[in-house]
Amino acid sequence: MRKRQREVAIVGVGQTKYSSHREDVNQPEMITEAIVEALNQTGLTMDHIDCVVHGNMELFEMIHQPDLWHTIGTGAMGKECLRLTTGGTTGATLVCAADALVASGMHDIVMAIGFEKLQEGHTTGGITNMADPLWGRKLQSGALVGITATQMIEEFGEQRAKKASIDYRIIMDMHAMKNEKAHRRLGLKFDMAEDLMNNSPRLVGELRMIHMCSQSDGACVVILASEDKAKEICDRPAWIVDHVTVHREEHMGTLFGLKKGKLTHRHAAEVLFKRNNIKDPVAEFDVFEMYDPSSWWGLDWLREFLLFDGDEHLRLVEDREIYMDGKFPVNPSGGVIASNPIGATAMVRFAEAGLQIMGKAGEHQIKKEVNWALASGFGGTFWTVLGILSSEKPKR
Amino acid sequence: MSRHSFIVHGKLALPYQYFAGSLGSKFIRALRDEKRIFGTKCSKCNTVYVPPRSLCDRCFLDIRDNIQDVSNEGTVITYTVVNHYEDHYPCKPPFILGLIKLDGATTPMVHIIKDVPIDKMRSNVRVRAVFSKYPQNTILNISHFEPIDYSVFERGYTYEELEIGMSASFTKTITETDVYLFAGISGDFNPMHVNEEYAKHAIFGKRVAHGAVPQSLIAPVLGTKLPGLGTVAIEINTRFKRPTYFGDTITAIATVKEKIEDKKWVKMDLRFINQRGEIIAKGEAVVMPPKG
Repeated sequence: MRKRQREVAIVGVGQTKYSSHREDVNQPEMITEAIVEALNQTGLTMDHIDCVVHGNMELFEMIHQPDLWHTIGTGAMGKECLRLTTGGTTGATLVCAADALVASGMHDIVMAIGFEKLQEGHTTGGITNMADPLWGRKLQSGALVGITATQMIEEFGEQRAKKASIDYRIIMDMHAMKNEKAHRRLGLKFDMAEDLMNNSPRLVGELRMIHMCSQSDGACVVILASEDKAKEICDRPAWIVDHVTVHREEHMGTLFGLKKGKLTHRHAAEVLFKRNNIKDPVAEFDVFEMYDPSSWWGLDWLREFLLFDGDEHLRLVEDREIYMDGKFPVNPSGGVIASNPIGATAMVRFAEAGLQIMGKAGEHQIKKEVNWALASGFGGTFWTVLGILSSEKPKR
Repeated sequence: MSRHSFIVHGKLALPYQYFAGSLGSKFIRALRDEKRIFGTKCSKCNTVYVPPRSLCDRCFLDIRDNIQDVSNEGTVITYTVVNHYEDHYPCKPPFILGLIKLDGATTPMVHIIKDVPIDKMRSNVRVRAVFSKYPQNTILNISHFEPIDYSVFERGYTYEELEIGMSASFTKTITETDVYLFAGISGDFNPMHVNEEYAKHAIFGKRVAHGAVPQSLIAPVLGTKLPGLGTVAIEINTRFKRPTYFGDTITAIATVKEKIEDKKWVKMDLRFINQRGEIIAKGEAVVMPPKG
């Protein structure tokens, strides 16, 4: 299945601090911050970068072709520059595209840039805009999807489902507290669970304010290099093993549960795990950076990605096994619930998984050695990008 | 086909904000509070960016602290005239949008140029910033730019602007007064111009104007119309064909005949016609048109 001319690794990561407002910088200035951090981490300069791949949500800041005018902040002038936008999966797509550009032999070192300044635009308007104008647009609540909570409560009982969901949320916040780049760091404790799950303001159904991800401003940069360059730049690069993209339109009926079809997440996992001979993902992966827009979705999607059928995903949370030093660490960065600059968000999953392998995650570095990492992106009406990173150069 | 297919009509009005950033805000405040325009200078390539940028994208150098004041006056590099209307325009069309390079800046900035007759606008005009009376907190803290010297709009056609075939004229009725004044100016009291009894027996049968009187009507054409203000006459030759009697109305016409590339001079064809359509004189002039 792998048709690569050569292997590719993540050698550098740069991120801005994620926050609700970055009024002190304009868009290109904000992006520069992440670029400078990535360049400093690698010791590279813009002269070493062969190609810049740039993306964010289409028109979320009401800016057309931001890649072109951002050149004043990206250093892309005179370099090959591509813009990609695939909704919430954009950041992951950028990594996949950069990987393809290097793996193909087109370029040796490629910089991928994902950014968003959600405070400048109208997120729900933008997301609503993605829905089918005839069937969906007037009938949806943007990213606020409450049906997953309803389904989980029906399946597992109200108390167990709500408790597992809020536990997931609290664990994510405990992780975010260790990540100085994270946007929302609330200092949640397990003894707040009952209060939060019953008293946080309701958004849609049992989806409450506390469950939902933030709207963040920020940028993420990932530098990918070819196999011969990667070792020179980074002692322990994060090798890209494989990735799969599944995009499809889900209309209201399946999205909102009249008949729940197989999610793109499960399909992606089945394809990727089969292709890479993965039998037991919980045992084989050392970390999973998952795109989790809400703690209901985070909880439910563990089941889809890990190909569970019963209540194994709930038990992983109830047993605190998704804690960063647990059996199956999920989002040591704090995840999307903590920080969500959408065009960068899916890239942050790959970047954070890469940092864990490189051993450069700082305070939220997992204690045990990370050799094999899973990262996912989510977007659109139900879209998935799923990828595997490794500390070892894959064998061809 | 459209009779059978639904068309979904919608309207999106998505609010948004844009954060100018610290440097951009400083720029806006300087315009508003100090009527001061500054740029940022790259220490590597010496480019002075106006409006300021925090990064020199060519050198990839952080230049946000290297602030450099520039003049409120500058030169219009080029311009365009906006004729159609859009809601977001700050003023009603037609108006002039210019690319203005302020003195001390490397990069030109776009702004509105007012107080210029639109058909007289040209590049290389010197302009100065006019600051807004009330704070706008955008680039419109500069309300617009106005010309520093209005006389430039009265300049004639340059060599480059002149085209073969362009023509202009001036018409005047020659009276007894004109002839007697010219006799005084030149000292030419020849009886054929000033003595009716003498003139009755001379070749034309009555008093006639001096030849130089109709001939001189070409001066306002060349000097104020074509090429116009700023023109220097090098040579004027005239061959007289008919007399001009008192009361005749003479039209002097100049037409661009040839452009003399090496000197940047222009050869003009001259014709002088009376009210009966008769050619009273023909000629040729060589002139030096004004420089841009």
